Parts: sequence; structure tokens; C-alpha cells
Amino acid sequence: MEVINLNNVSYYYKAYNDDGTVGSAIGVEGVTLSVNEGAFVALVGHNGCGKSTLAKLLNGLLIPKGGTVTVFGLDTAKKENIFEIRKNVGMVFQNPDNQMVASIVEEDVAFGPENLGVPQKEIVERVNEALEQVGMTEFAKRSPHRLSGGQKQRIAIAGALAIRPKILVLDESTAMLDPQGRKEVLEVAHRLNAQGMTVLLITHFMEEVLDCDQVVVMNNGHVVKIGTPTEIFQDKRLLEDAGLRAPRTAELARALAEAGFDVSVRETDALKLGGDVCRNLQK
Amino acid sequence: MLRDVTFGQYYPGNSFVHKMDARIKLILTLLFMVGIFFVKSFVVFGFVTVLLLAIIFVARVPLKSVLKSIKGIIVLLLLTAIINIFFTKGEDGEQPLWSWWKIEIYVAGLKSAAKIFLRLVYLVIGSSVLTLTTTPVDLTHAVESLLKPLRIVKFPVHEFALIMSLTLSFIPSLIEETDRIIRAQKARGADFDTGGLIKRAKAFIPILIPLLVGGFRRAEELANAMNSRCYEGATKRTCMRVMKLSWRDLVGAFVMIAFFTGVFLLYGMSKQWSVDVAWLYY
Repeated sequence: MEVINLNNVSYYYKAYNDDGTVGSAIGVEGVTLSVNEGAFVALVGHNGCGKSTLAKLLNGLLIPKGGTVTVFGLDTAKKENIFEIRKNVGMVFQNPDNQMVASIVEEDVAFGPENLGVPQKEIVERVNEALEQVGMTEFAKRSPHRLSGGQKQRIAIAGALAIRPKILVLDESTAMLDPQGRKEVLEVAHRLNAQGMTVLLITHFMEEVLDCDQVVVMNNGHVVKIGTPTEIFQDKRLLEDAGLRAPRTAELARALAEAGFDVSVRETDALKLGGDVCRNLQK
Repeated sequence: MLRDVTFGQYYPGNSFVHKMDARIKLILTLLFMVGIFFVKSFVVFGFVTVLLLAIIFVARVPLKSVLKSIKGIIVLLLLTAIINIFFTKGEDGEQPLWSWWKIEIYVAGLKSAAKIFLRLVYLVIGSSVLTLTTTPVDLTHAVESLLKPLRIVKFPVHEFALIMSLTLSFIPSLIEETDRIIRAQKARGADFDTGGLIKRAKAFIPILIPLLVGGFRRAEELANAMNSRCYEGATKRTCMRVMKLSWRDLVGAFVMIAFFTGVFLLYGMSKQWSVDVAWLYY
């Protein structure tokens, strides 16, 4: 089932030029995209390519200037739909510190359900459940600012989960984290996806794209390619134009194949590649 | 450096006073602050001292951290005491205790200086017992709950409480950012530690501007995050935290109210009784 549909969507920002005139800058332009229920979709592109604009269009933080965005069949341009849409689209942003509403973890997670007007007892249930899903139960009474980046970002995910959304959008949520923190957040995202959550991961780390069902490559506000990770990694030209680079393992696989080794260019596991090379050499 | 600054002075504990409802504690602290101004005699000040010591003992907060709170107002204390000593004139016919040129010191001046001194000290100690035993978060909830009646006059109680709560949660990250900016500017040769007052104040402009700009950026991101989490104002919001009154609140309230009823009664009746039980008014 299709849960998100973007039809020829455009968004422009106001740009203030040096000479004092006001022009416009492309946020996204002519984007058509559809996401199915339960998918794990990665949205990649270099900084300023329109990834975050696209994310903000998904839950009505921005309303398209052209085209339509529908979530579960609801048009984001209609004001009366916004609340329902935001209930279904959980969003986690880049800087964990700037998303914390309260100075105690459990109260921060409770912010969403409190806004929905959920009865007190159910809020406690939802908060406990959300913290369990991200593995942060023991930190419920702590102050978020003493936690690590990865932990803070997991709290932010819990805050989104407590609303019980069907779609989770991670808008560069791993960009500010160290490798350990990134791993923590990605593990949570994949676990949620395995439980049926539709996940949209926005990132510029290509390694994070490896395990996704579908990759959307953006450049200068346009979607330039949609495909599986291996398909995308094959297209070196496209990636270069978009200011990206395939993960080392993918590049290695291609280099080996070009050098005449009998390895699958779709292989992204370094260990398996190594095994393949050894087998080739034995022959 | 700046990172060690913590907001509020909560002293974690599990005592009778810690477990009391923040709303009751807030009301009782206000009662104490008002009540202290109705204390007129040293004997009653003695009673207040005993009461305060008893509360501090029950709250199990170290006396040292309670007394530390006085440090902040020491200048104010000395100033008011000095003014009282030198500018209080004795009653008619009373000889000054000591005089030189136009300066005269009377016994009445010493007495009123001592009383003002005690009042201010007890005021600060009383409120610091509240902040030592109550987390800032609990205090915010208490303020929201107590201000609720003001909704009738359209006072935005919820928004007010939310602002307090956001302020609390952003103080640590703002301190961190200030620290970072200071170090960045120092690395580029900024000098904050030498020169006169004006020069030093000017040196802080390169810190304030990035901090302010950063603050606006944070505010926008926070607004997006809050909107994404279905924030639509106070209309139908519920609250996870339930504040329950317990027997402790009853006991605490009873003790405080009984004590200050006594203080108010003494104050009101001072005229008739002042002959019979003069020692209470000394």
C-alpha cells in the first residue's frame, strides 16, 4: 500500500540577494515519489540538495508551492489534515539538543501524547513502551543533557514513537553523531522497520544506505535517481554529479570485477568479497 | 569551566520534605516569607530559628549548603544593617549610645538593624530550603498548577509554564555553547581577562552575537520539533505527571499554619497583651 505520495512537488525559499532584492531559491522542484508501507527508504544527496526540505514537506511543516503531497491519502495543503498527518509521521531532526522539550527524559517523551490529549494512564504506558523500543528504559528519570549523542537521539526517536506513528522520518538524525551513536540509531531504525514501521532515512553517509530497500538520490532540488542500493552504487557518474561516493566495499567490488575477478558487483559485505577473491585465486 | 554551572541548587534526597507536594511547599514557603515580616520580637525570632532548624533537620540537607545561599545577599545585608544602625532615631528623650559629630547610634537602631538582618537571612534560608528539596521541574509544575485559576482572566498559564520548562531544559546547552564560543574567540586571539571594565564588557560582544544568532536558530529547530510532535497549544493537552497530596503535606501544612497563626495573633493583639506578656515583645 502506498503511504506517501509526492506528485510533481516544488518548494521555493525566499532568497535575499546582496543588492537587497528578494529572489527565490529552489528547495525542491518537480519531485515525484511514492513510498510503500513497511519500506525502508534512504534519501541521499549532498548538503543543500533539498533533502531536509523534502522531509519538512512530508508532515506539513512546509506546504508545497506546486504539486501535492499526500500522506495516507490526506493532502498536507489542507489545514484540517495537518494534525492527523503529524500523528502518523514521526520526525526526528539533526541536532538532538534542539528537540528536547523537557529536562527529564520521560517528560520529554511524554510531550507528544500529552499534545494528543491522551489520558494520563495511557501516557505512562506509551512512554514506557517507547523507551523500551529504543532501549532507554533505565534513563527515564535522568536529565537528557548528560547523555551521549546517540542516547539523546534515541530519546528523540522515543518521543516520536510515543505518538504511535506509522511512518518515521529521520532527517539527518545521524549527521552529528559519532560512529557508535550512528550505529545505535540505525539499529533502532532497522528494528522498528522489521516490526512494520515505514522508515525514511535522510543521510549523506552512504554506508547507511546499504541495508535499505530503496534509495532516492537528490541533487539541486531534483530527484535524479530511484533504485536499490546496488543499482545506485553502480552508477559512478550519477553519484559523482550528486556529490556522493559509493561505500568503499561497493567500489572495491566493482574494481575487482573490472580487474577480471569473478565477484558479484552487488556484493557489499567486505568479508564475503574477501572470500570470493580467495576462491578466485585458488582456481 | 562554565560547564560546571548547574541551574538551581537541588540537593537530591528522599526526606519527608523532599517527598512533600511541590505545590504545598511553594505555598508554605510564601506563607513563611510573609509571616516573617510579622515577627516583631527577638523571642519569636528564636522560635522561628528553632522552626527553621527543625525543617532543615527533617529535610536532611546539610546546613552548609543552606547557609551558602546567604553569600549571595551579603552586600545587601550589610548595607541595610548599616543604614538601619545610623538612620534610626531613638524615642524622645532617649540618649544616643554613641555619638560623633552628626552621627548618633541609638539602641533602637541596633535592634531594628538586627531584626532586618534576621528577616532577610531567614527569607533567603526559607526559600533555599524550597529550592534545595524541590527539582526545578517540580517547581514548574507547581507554578502551572497554582496559576491555573488565572485562566479565567485569560492569562496564558500553560504557555507560561512551557516557557519556564523550555528555559530550564535549554540552559545546559546554552552554557555549553557559550563555553565553546569563548574558546573559539580566545583561539583567535580575543582577550577577556585584561583591561578596564568597559574594555572587558566590550570584549563580550563577540560572544553575545553568535550566542544570540545561535539562539534564534535553535528556537526555529525546536519549533519544528514541537510542531512535528503535534503541539497545538494548550487546548486539549493532558499531563503525564500527577501531583498527589499525602499525609506529609497535611502534617507540614498543619505545623506551618499553626506556627504562623500564632505569629499573626501575637502581631494583632500586641496592644492589649504587651503589658501582661511583655517578654514576647522585647
